[in-house]
Amino acid sequence: MSSSKHILSTFDEALEGLRGELLMMASLTEKNLRNAMKCLSNRDSNLCSATIADETEIDELEKSIDAEGVELLRRFQPVASDLRQIVSIIKICSNLERIADQAVNIAKRCRKLSRDPNPGDAKQIDAMFAQSLGMVQDSISAYRAADVSLARSVLERDKVLDQMNHDLAATLTATMGLAPERITDYLNLLFIARHLERVGDHAENIAEDAIYAASAEDVRHSKVQA
Amino acid sequence: MIKSSIPLIKPVAVERAKLAMQSTDSPPRPAFEVSNLSIWYGEKAAIQDVTIDIPAKTITAIIGPSGCGKSTFLRCLNRMHELVPRTRVEGKVLFQGEDLYSSGIDPALVRRRIGMVFQKSNPFPTMSIAENVIVGLKLNGVRNRRLLDERLEKSLRMAALWDEVKDDLHKPGMSLSGGQQQRLCIARAIAVEPEVLLMDEPASALDPIATMKVEELIHELSANYTIVIVTHNMQQASRVSDLTAFFYVGKLIEFDETTQIFTKPKETKTEDYITGRFG
Repeated sequence: MSSSKHILSTFDEALEGLRGELLMMASLTEKNLRNAMKCLSNRDSNLCSATIADETEIDELEKSIDAEGVELLRRFQPVASDLRQIVSIIKICSNLERIADQAVNIAKRCRKLSRDPNPGDAKQIDAMFAQSLGMVQDSISAYRAADVSLARSVLERDKVLDQMNHDLAATLTATMGLAPERITDYLNLLFIARHLERVGDHAENIAEDAIYAASAEDVRHSKVQA
Repeated sequence: MIKSSIPLIKPVAVERAKLAMQSTDSPPRPAFEVSNLSIWYGEKAAIQDVTIDIPAKTITAIIGPSGCGKSTFLRCLNRMHELVPRTRVEGKVLFQGEDLYSSGIDPALVRRRIGMVFQKSNPFPTMSIAENVIVGLKLNGVRNRRLLDERLEKSLRMAALWDEVKDDLHKPGMSLSGGQQQRLCIARAIAVEPEVLLMDEPASALDPIATMKVEELIHELSANYTIVIVTHNMQQASRVSDLTAFFYVGKLIEFDETTQIFTKPKETKTEDYITGRFG
């Protein structure tokens, strides 16, 4: 990407504004994801409700960023790195909104859980949460800094998250047989793990868009991404 | 110096290239093979050491800021620049393997095989629509009325103008709208059945609708002609061309597929120019 200024300062201002909105949306999404996990650890039904309500703001930001992106395309008909920036912003925005959806899904599951969590199960979920949150943070950092190698590391880490989800599912399924009276709780934990795994998938998509924005390389659906 | 081989080209042109490949064992020869071309107007170098191959039956756009030499380059492809006094040329321009600048080559014949359409439509003011189209044929000695009529209709149809003027062929060419006049000039250029059409900002003086008609015409003509178009309008270059060459201060900076140039240019100068970060 060229570092020099656009002849039209209005374009630079509009693009910078759009990037700023996207990064703000990323911060809100990250906060929602953290709150969703606090719902699990604290069993705080008020926080669950707040997390679910906060999604509205993210939904509005998604619509606003989409509209501004389309407006930038219409007004300036950008090409090359400028075009890639705007296309990537619109796609990243969509993935952030889906991450926020997953946070809401987690909060809804947490409301259903009893107040007697099994510490062992929660610990495994905590590890998945740390992994998926780290992927979201790094995918956004990679986009912000046009850091292709950081984005590639996110793609690799998704495989680890998938394995963690697989392992947790095996553990919970085995435990269900030992405590059939808590089968609903275990199913909710399984779903939460699945939502975190989906968060990782969206972080992977964001990392792919970050690579495209920075280098024009399309790494989607390639077997060897890193 | 940039050495540009025939780059990959977009699907339509790729299909054409495949068809051409089926009829011969060797890959199709480029329409133009330009090597180490430099052009001076007096002491001023307008083009410096340009090497580029332009494939046949594709649309090649030439872009660059004012004064970068793109029109000079276009005009050297049919020796039109020689009409400017104190012009000097070095290097080679091969057209279908033939050196356009070797002694014994008739510039008038070159210009018949390699036609040109200019920025400002320039129908002959004293001639009718029909006379404007067939004047080139008449100058080349064609007198057969039937042949002239056939070529008149064919050229106007190819220029997407026949339906609009078929009942007014006797009216002055200047009575047409700006967009129609430009398509009349294109009809005039193709009436002599050239192999190449050079277009120097052919739509820059037209309104958006007329511009789109000319662009559609360029697309249709590319099935039969090699087209090289100079344009200041980068969206136009992006829309109509298979390949794009970027010139800057007389030098060829980058030549590649148009898709590549407008999504992932290799050179920083190209990126800066097309994204509006120049100067």
